[in-house]
Amino acid sequence: MGLFDKLAGWLGLKKKEVNVLCLGLDNSGKTTIINQLKPSNAQTQDIVPTIGFSIEKFKTSSLSFTVFDMSGQGRYRNLWEHYYKEGQAIIFVIDSGDKLRMVVAKEELDTLLNHPDIKHRRIPILFFANKMDLRDALSSVKVSQLLCLENIKDKPWHICASDALKGEGLQEGNKFSSCLALFHIEMHLGIIGRIIVVKLALVVK
Amino acid sequence: YRAAIETEKRICGLVATDSCTRWLDAHYDPVANLYTFSSCIGNGDSLVVGDLGTGACNIKLKVYKGTSLVSENTLLDLPTGLVSFHMDQHEPRTPAIAVASGPFIYVYKNLRPYFKFTLPPLEVNPLEQEVWTQAKEVRRERYGPHLHTSCSRRFSFPLGRFLMLDPQEMETYVNLHKQQPLRRQTVITCISTLKKNMAEEDAVSCLVIGAESKDIYVLDPEAFTVLSKMSLPSVPTLIDVTGQFDVEFRITVACRNGNIYILRRDSPKPKYCIELTSHPVGLVRIGKNVVVGCAQETLLSYTQKGKKLWTVYLPAPVMTMGLMDHHTRGFQAVLVGLSNCQVQLYRDKNLLNIVKTPDVVTSICFGRFGREDGSLIMTTKGGGLIVKILKRTAVFDDRDTAPGPPLAQSIRLNVPKKTKLYVDQTMRERENAVAMHRAFQMDLSRLRLASARAYVKALESSLTPMSASLSEPLKMNAVVQGLGPSFKLTLNVQNTAACRPVMNLAVSFLYDEALYSMRPSFFKIPLLVPGLNYPIDAFVECLVDKGISDIIKVFVLQQGKSAPLLTAHINMPVSEGLPLN
Repeated sequence: MGLFDKLAGWLGLKKKEVNVLCLGLDNSGKTTIINQLKPSNAQTQDIVPTIGFSIEKFKTSSLSFTVFDMSGQGRYRNLWEHYYKEGQAIIFVIDSGDKLRMVVAKEELDTLLNHPDIKHRRIPILFFANKMDLRDALSSVKVSQLLCLENIKDKPWHICASDALKGEGLQEGNKFSSCLALFHIEMHLGIIGRIIVVKLALVVK
Repeated sequence: YRAAIETEKRICGLVATDSCTRWLDAHYDPVANLYTFSSCIGNGDSLVVGDLGTGACNIKLKVYKGTSLVSENTLLDLPTGLVSFHMDQHEPRTPAIAVASGPFIYVYKNLRPYFKFTLPPLEVNPLEQEVWTQAKEVRRERYGPHLHTSCSRRFSFPLGRFLMLDPQEMETYVNLHKQQPLRRQTVITCISTLKKNMAEEDAVSCLVIGAESKDIYVLDPEAFTVLSKMSLPSVPTLIDVTGQFDVEFRITVACRNGNIYILRRDSPKPKYCIELTSHPVGLVRIGKNVVVGCAQETLLSYTQKGKKLWTVYLPAPVMTMGLMDHHTRGFQAVLVGLSNCQVQLYRDKNLLNIVKTPDVVTSICFGRFGREDGSLIMTTKGGGLIVKILKRTAVFDDRDTAPGPPLAQSIRLNVPKKTKLYVDQTMRERENAVAMHRAFQMDLSRLRLASARAYVKALESSLTPMSASLSEPLKMNAVVQGLGPSFKLTLNVQNTAACRPVMNLAVSFLYDEALYSMRPSFFKIPLLVPGLNYPIDAFVECLVDKGISDIIKVFVLQQGKSAPLLTAHINMPVSEGLPLN
């Protein structure tokens, strides 16, 4: 990113670009959630299992998101780690109705958190306890207990219950905006850091 | 013994590593009330279990989706086997479930009863027929014993029960069943599936049934007619089928007489027979080989033609066996449930992994469960249900953990070919062995004699730097310092006696006077206290610059004795400097 871009970003002329990784097991609803976050005219009707990964871009008032919608199928999960470096925020989707595979979700999450590209970064993580419409779905509190989210001490995280089919708990609802606020805070911290870098660069010149 | 400890360590390692790194504990319900065996359990989108219940009640067909029970169907009799198969070409391709129970096969589609198939009745013995027709009038006493001796087989219904009755009850029994014709019905002991003519995963399959009448039936999937019937020398208990019915197939059957028979297409009799030393408990086919768990705590592997490949001795009796076939990783292994609450995983004869379970496992099923490919489903003796999921990152390394000789022992060494010279030499050695041995012994004795003589001589003439006399035990070594032409000779003399000092000693040097000059060439040395080291310096001057050197002999002498106590030969270095004029 050039110096002008940095200044523009600082002055708020240019929207901040955020790379978001959307992770989670297969059939947890990642693509559906991303689809719901898109403007209504860009949404697709039929969601098919993602192969490899797909990239989606959309904008909110202050941020420009690039979402890497990763495939959750077992054979594609080893692709995830190659995108950890670029990711500035993570969305982790959990199928609240799949009690059996909660351990698998926990295992994948632990692998993610212990990865060298993630471990020492204060990367914000947003958890969606998805499929709340299911009759036997676990509550978001129960999901966070099962995933031992309370052990994540060094990263800002938030869990919210969602129903991606109806779009509940995603865009509207204060929960998601609080999640977005996390991103904002993170961005501001990043900007302050960058200002210092810019100043230093000027001093050097 | 050490090998045993090593094995134990490795097994402990296996337990430790697998419990924390290879399997995820997805679900454990100790009170699921599932009492079943590996033959009555099937997986896929959902888990279907033929529950044997407790005794005669609660015999049910249960269906699990995820962790919850979604459906229950009451069964009339104990299930002996359960398979899922595709019975038609219809879309969508949903498999049907066949449950064998008594002489019937109940087919379920979409978890609803769909069809009931009854095994064809066996022909009735004419003698039995005759007896039954006459029994309607005549007493049992006349025919019963006669029938017992002439007919060794099971009796047909209702004659069998008639013969067991008391004479006074016979009348009513005969009247009750007078109208019924005699029929003889067999029951199903095992069931499996065989692809009809295509190898695809979801191709139409025939049912293969083993019956108490020592027969194997192959049923048409759509019409439910008997396509083929094969007979065995004994009652089949475990069955495994591979191949396609229209092309070529192999049916491997473990029988109640402790033999395994291998049947092929177009042969109504078994093609091969494997005679086991004990009764088979579990039968699993891996590729072309068959792995059998025996009642004698052994695991045996045989080829398709009945050739034995290996034996593994297990730590406990086998309870059940299952195949672990992970398609996406191309991994195949045998799961063996043991009575010591362990499930061991074997690839060939190598123990790869041990899963410890809270209870004895009675049924094992590995495969897809819901969306997870690597699920291990087990039910326990106490009715519990355990689901474990293989980690995505889990790897099984093929370590040889079987006790016994190490693997390296069986590797052939690349020994070079014998040369002609080697052969000739060997021949010569073989022919003249005695003479060669004698010559060698003679030379050895001579060598020993020569060395002993030299040693005695050295001791007698005190040529060594160690004193041999007991009265004056001395030790000496010498160091030469300097580059030349002046050298410094340091003699370290030590009295090695325990407490006696040595007195009246002198040192004398013998050297070529043309080459060297020594300032004191003879001097007395003081009293030597035991144990202490006395360094004595002497200065040597080299007189020539021709680059030659010589030996200086040092003698330690005692007053009044002509023979020296010690002798040291000092090899002088070449003088590298020039003498000062």
